[in-house]
Amino acid sequence: MNDMNNVPNLNEIANPGDTHNFGEIPMAAQNAEPSLQIDKHARAPLAVTSELEAKVTVRNLNFYYGDLLALKNINVPIYTNKVTALIGPSGCGKSTLLRVLNRMYDLYPKQRAEGEVLLDGANILRRDQDLNLLRARVGMVFQKPTPFPMSIHDNIAFGIKLYEKLSKSELGDRVEAALTRAALWSEVKDKLHASGLSLSGGQQQRLCIARTVALQPEVILLDEPCSALDPISTAKIEETIDELKEKYTIAIVTHNMQQAARVSDFTAFMYLGELIEFGPTSQIFTAPENLQTQNYITGRFG
Amino acid sequence: MAIYDMRRRRSRFFLSLCYVCVFAGLGWLVIILGTLLFEGLRNMPLSVFIQMTPPPGSEGGLLNAIIGSVIMTALAMAIGTPLGILAATYMAEYGRHSRLTIIVRFINDILLSAPSIVIGLFIYEVMVVKMGHFSALAGAAALAVIVVPVVVRTTEDMLLLVPDTLREAARALGLPCSVVIRKVAYRAARAGLITGVLLAVARISGETAPLLFTALNNQFYSTDLNAPMSSLPAVIFQFALSPYKEWQQLAWTGALIITLAVLGLSIAARVLHSRRPAE
Amino acid sequence: MTNLAIEDAKSLEAEVRLRRTLAGFKLRNLAFHFVTLAAAWAVLLLLGGVIASLVVGSIPAMKAFGLDFLFTEVWNPVTEKFGALAPVYGTLVTSLIAMLIAVPSAFGIAIFLTELCPHPLRRPIGIAIELLAGIPSIIYGIWGLFIFAPFLQEHVQPHLISAFANVPVLSKLFAGPPYGIGVLTAGIILAVMVLPIVTSVSRDVFETVPDVLKEAAYAVGCTTWEVMRYVVIPYTRVGLIGSVMLGLGRALGETMAVTFVIGNAHRIAPSLLAPGTTISATIANEFTEAVGDLYTSSLIALGLILFVITFIILAIARYMLLRLQMKEAQ
Repeated sequence: MNDMNNVPNLNEIANPGDTHNFGEIPMAAQNAEPSLQIDKHARAPLAVTSELEAKVTVRNLNFYYGDLLALKNINVPIYTNKVTALIGPSGCGKSTLLRVLNRMYDLYPKQRAEGEVLLDGANILRRDQDLNLLRARVGMVFQKPTPFPMSIHDNIAFGIKLYEKLSKSELGDRVEAALTRAALWSEVKDKLHASGLSLSGGQQQRLCIARTVALQPEVILLDEPCSALDPISTAKIEETIDELKEKYTIAIVTHNMQQAARVSDFTAFMYLGELIEFGPTSQIFTAPENLQTQNYITGRFG
Repeated sequence: MAIYDMRRRRSRFFLSLCYVCVFAGLGWLVIILGTLLFEGLRNMPLSVFIQMTPPPGSEGGLLNAIIGSVIMTALAMAIGTPLGILAATYMAEYGRHSRLTIIVRFINDILLSAPSIVIGLFIYEVMVVKMGHFSALAGAAALAVIVVPVVVRTTEDMLLLVPDTLREAARALGLPCSVVIRKVAYRAARAGLITGVLLAVARISGETAPLLFTALNNQFYSTDLNAPMSSLPAVIFQFALSPYKEWQQLAWTGALIITLAVLGLSIAARVLHSRRPAE
Repeated sequence: MTNLAIEDAKSLEAEVRLRRTLAGFKLRNLAFHFVTLAAAWAVLLLLGGVIASLVVGSIPAMKAFGLDFLFTEVWNPVTEKFGALAPVYGTLVTSLIAMLIAVPSAFGIAIFLTELCPHPLRRPIGIAIELLAGIPSIIYGIWGLFIFAPFLQEHVQPHLISAFANVPVLSKLFAGPPYGIGVLTAGIILAVMVLPIVTSVSRDVFETVPDVLKEAAYAVGCTTWEVMRYVVIPYTRVGLIGSVMLGLGRALGETMAVTFVIGNAHRIAPSLLAPGTTISATIANEFTEAVGDLYTSSLIALGLILFVITFIILAIARYMLLRLQMKEAQ
């Protein structure tokens, strides 16, 4: 049951090719009732007059695993300096969609994408797109913490050294800044030369976030970053996400709906490879327009 | 941007070195097998399977060497295979978690890669000296010592792959361990056990060093286990290092025969291994 | 009445039969258990036997020469003065040359097979490389003697000699008449024999790296080479060392290929192009002609030295691979 009328029509959003575009607010947001708040942790609805740029725009994306069509005609914006959550039951394609955004699927010959993904107006799916430079602009944090087999300092410095030539002290400053951003500095400042693997799970994940942030990307992709962590680490990371969105555009995949409601500004609900509904988080969680969305939110399935 | 270009160039450079390594490795294989085929078949005497090894300077064949190799290989397998299977059975079944198993596994892996000439010395000390003369039995014994670790390793791996649920079902019927092992585990791992046997035969078919001072060599046809016996590897060793053209040619032909046998067995083992029915 | 009696008798019979069967089971199980246990011990005793026989056989030489045996170059069957220095030197140098050539090549092939090779080609190429391991060593020997050594003698060695003729240190290393056979030739052939082992173990080790870790490195913008060099290889460091040591163990113990091409000269010459000898080549060439207890005992002592060296290397290798397995299991 796919009611296409409720999905915001992206053709109404101004062509993101203009760098200063003031896209039309999606219809769903315009209809949101500002006072409707069931969950007191839900974000307040956006002021209707804010200007929203789409940092990344997905247009008519179809994704194939071999012959299997896994993503069907996805059209969704990721707004600048906002957190966009991708939610949906297992297998709906949310991780797949996230991994298109930094062309991680390119590592696997049987996977391919058709359509367009515009980063600041330029299509990153084109063949001559330089992948390493793309990934310097679009960083990713994975489900499982993946510290490199190096010291904490080197984990972070490694990425920086790939792109810039800095003196030792400058490098040290950048490492400190990145660790501070990830709320890890105070915990590791005395053991920067210990192995990255000696940290706890939550600390390792924050190390991965610091590593991504150190490269000064524009977009950060988070693929279920807290699913392997305990609640306290999860809370710390959610705080970090909240701080990060001031400087970065964030897209997060999560199958924890409460987390989506807590951290995100916009939410996209996906099911069986299709984008069912997209809109401000407060609206999706309180007054979704699509019945399927509502069923999922209320736990009827998933 | 300069840094990035250099990184890209460096990556391309090292990765192309990897390609070079692969071509070199495959190249060696082609060159070695190619020259072996060429030299072995070039002047191959038609009588190679019919006549005995000749005295220097005359024509002949390799029959006694081939038969000697076959006899000693068969004998070595007859001794080594049961011993290996039984030891592996203990390690995988009765003693799966015992400390003895851990030690034996470690020791076995070392024996597996030990220099085979040392095995020859061992059998020399223990059998040849005691018996007072070289013999085919000693040669077979040396080969058996090489067979055992191979069979133990593959058998243990195969037995451990058999799911415990099969064993439990049999035990639930009231059958004792020994019957369960023989009727259930062995049968389930049968293809793997045969693979192990084939790999062991392939391994000892090409071994020369352990035979050099146990079975020695014999110019004539002999099936006496208590006397020196010729074998293909020993004959190749003797003939290749000699100055006689006919002998050198026979050495090449013998080398070709051994290689074909060994590669054939290895491929058969592999085919059998991959045709194992999925559990 | 009689029916009941017959039935009772029948069930009694059945019970007796059942008891006897179960007792038989128990006995057979015990016997089988014992037999397998004995077989396992036999493997242990085999190793013990090898070590013991080598030690016992070396005693006359140990008594005659003591520790000097390890440091004497002399090898004179006539005066019965024997020293292990030349064979040990040859063994170590040929193995070193083999490892220097084989290890980078093997890592290169393993990287190719795990990262660069198109999927359908992976199995065939992997099998082809492993075929190199299946070729018996005497084949390498005869090929080396008749094909490779003459080739080196005519086309390679003269150029090596003249190229380094005026370079200070290297001219000594690459000096002397081009024999074709010699330490360098033996080292190169050993490299080809060791290559498949190091390749296949390295490849297995590379495949234990979790995909997420490699993706994380790509996500930071690494090139393929950088992923291998800074993430995969450090991560699998222990296993790679294990694979190198396994290859080294094989190189040290290799007999037939080396015997054919090393030249069998009991000397230590500075030049790599000169003939030399290794422990296994010495034993293979001279054992059947050794006259006299001291000669034989010296050869066995050489065997003991070789066994001890390879035992230590293999033990370290297995230990390292074991540690990698345990890390993977976590």
